[in-house]
Amino acid sequence: MQLAVNIAVLASIYALIACGYVLIYRVSRVLNLAHGELMMLAAYLLLTTASSFAGHPLFAISAAIGLSILVGAMVYLFLMRKMTGEMALAAVLATVALGVLLRGITVIVWSAQQQYPATALGLVNPSIALPGGARISLCGALLVACTAVAYGSLLAFLRFGRWGVRMRAAGQSPLLAAQRGINLHAIYAIAWSLSTFTGAMAGMLIALDSGLGQTMTIIGLKAFPAALVGGLDSLAGALAGSLIVAAAEVLLIHYVDPLLSEVVPFLVLIAMLVVRPWGLFGTREELDRV
Amino acid sequence: MLRKLAAAILAATALSAPAAAQDAYTIGLTGALTGAPASTYAPAVQALRIYVERVNAAGGINGRKINLILQDDSAEPGKAAANAKKLITQDGVILMLNASLSSTYAPMLAEAKRAGVPVLFASSVCPKDVYPPADPLQFCTTAFAANYDSRAVLDFIKATAKEPVKIGFSAMAIPISRGEIDFAEELSKTMGMTPVDKEVIPPPTPDYTPFATKIKDAGANWAYSWAPWVTQVRTLEALRRLDWKGDYIAWSHIEAEGELARLKDDRFYVIGANALFQDGLPIHKEIADAAKAANVQYPVQQMAEGWIAGMVIEAALKATGWPATSEKLAAAMSNLKVDTKGLRGGPIEWTKNNHFRTRQYYRVYKWDAAKISIVRIKDWTAFDVK
Repeated sequence: MQLAVNIAVLASIYALIACGYVLIYRVSRVLNLAHGELMMLAAYLLLTTASSFAGHPLFAISAAIGLSILVGAMVYLFLMRKMTGEMALAAVLATVALGVLLRGITVIVWSAQQQYPATALGLVNPSIALPGGARISLCGALLVACTAVAYGSLLAFLRFGRWGVRMRAAGQSPLLAAQRGINLHAIYAIAWSLSTFTGAMAGMLIALDSGLGQTMTIIGLKAFPAALVGGLDSLAGALAGSLIVAAAEVLLIHYVDPLLSEVVPFLVLIAMLVVRPWGLFGTREELDRV
Repeated sequence: MLRKLAAAILAATALSAPAAAQDAYTIGLTGALTGAPASTYAPAVQALRIYVERVNAAGGINGRKINLILQDDSAEPGKAAANAKKLITQDGVILMLNASLSSTYAPMLAEAKRAGVPVLFASSVCPKDVYPPADPLQFCTTAFAANYDSRAVLDFIKATAKEPVKIGFSAMAIPISRGEIDFAEELSKTMGMTPVDKEVIPPPTPDYTPFATKIKDAGANWAYSWAPWVTQVRTLEALRRLDWKGDYIAWSHIEAEGELARLKDDRFYVIGANALFQDGLPIHKEIADAAKAANVQYPVQQMAEGWIAGMVIEAALKATGWPATSEKLAAAMSNLKVDTKGLRGGPIEWTKNNHFRTRQYYRVYKWDAAKISIVRIKDWTAFDVK
């Protein structure tokens, strides 16, 4: 039972991060390699709002989420918008540069030391007993719940929401979408905001669970194979990919060798690229674009 | 926030400026001031910088100031090599310092050896070349010591455990940590303990619970971790979330004092070579005052390691005299004894053959729930370094 819980928590971490990659790629065909840094920035913003709203954790969390959404929109408006019409590689390199910049800024502003937003917020993270003798931390349980809610909401938004349908249209054919009067810049800005929002949730919950440091950016990158395994333009694929990668990781740690956890995501990715290069639920035509 | 940003940019600009004066002792450091492992090294570098500023403000050494040049390598070997080249060829340093991951050593040492410049490892792990028989150009002030640390830990567990010891180990998947835990595992067998599990955890990992689950399921009643702080403490926290009730001991890195107070875990021990600030020594007050005056970014409890490096550099330069060359400095460092004023259990003593220290001392601390404070569990225990 504990193994199942471990898989669920790890899959939720990967899924919540991976959907950020998918949202941006699906809409704008850009691989956001600064996603881990944006996730980390959100966690640091929580640290700042925690001191501004001492004793009011809900305000602090809400403010940090709001700021993260704003950051996402600003990244698009002031950086990625300039990349419109350029080669996809130029846009990807711009996100790499953004990541380097954010890493430097976070060290300068918040220092390199380990931080604990939960302590700053006065929150405790108790262990919850589950049936079968398993246990989960409160933040771990929240991660699972937030992932479920985020994916449910995003899938519904893209399927039924007016702006969600427009996002899908912009993703399928920006030219036709623009000709139909869809404001592409607004769509892209929303995609960046939503992506940063889900990344922020992941970053904040990980930081609340186990602390915050510069290593979070690498955790952001570890979720990338999950997105690729599922198919880079599919939200359902990101969920499935995360589950597969997390299950492989946890089971190999438990039954074979803990060291394998580092390479498992990439082994799964290679296997998928050999068998089905466009991923589990990805669109075959996307391969050329990647 | 903006003020902090501006101050940091100004400080970085000032510190990275080329050696201004030819009549100063010019020394250079390459370190992980940014990047994933920066939390281990940046506070020590900041403490060293404050120490050097204090020495300069007091008139310098032998009437000369110390020109400390800081270069960030983000723990990347390529950057460390470039920094070393720049420090030696452009800045003309007589001493090079390293405060970074061990992966940066080889490229940096290659440059230093070519130029005959001594290298001091300050807060970064001591390489085996500083132990007897020592490399003439390599020196180390860092507290932790491979093999000696695990001997001290297992001695402590043996003396403390009230029932047969079933021990689980946790390491980070880097060579130095794995090597030490492998050594500890073998040593534990010879001391009558039963090693039940060993987790080598890749850095970083988003969730430590799968690793902790194995240690718990293996039936460990003790766990020992010798790894960067993040691996040590997150393994412990994951174990506690799984309702594991055993005793846990880890190396007392610079973060230890603050973390003992944060975790308030009665069965979490830290063993280390530095006295914690809760001991309230006069030198601790001196460091705290200096840190306050310099408005440092990091908690003062993380300053001891860099301060000790500063004390050793000051003593070495004093012994070198003026004019100073790398050769004269290396010779002076090979015959040096520095009183650490209680920050360590004894002096740092270097000989021609031993550039680590002739004796290594350990203390054990933990959180005491009844006293609501950190308490010393075991006072200095010495090991001869041969």
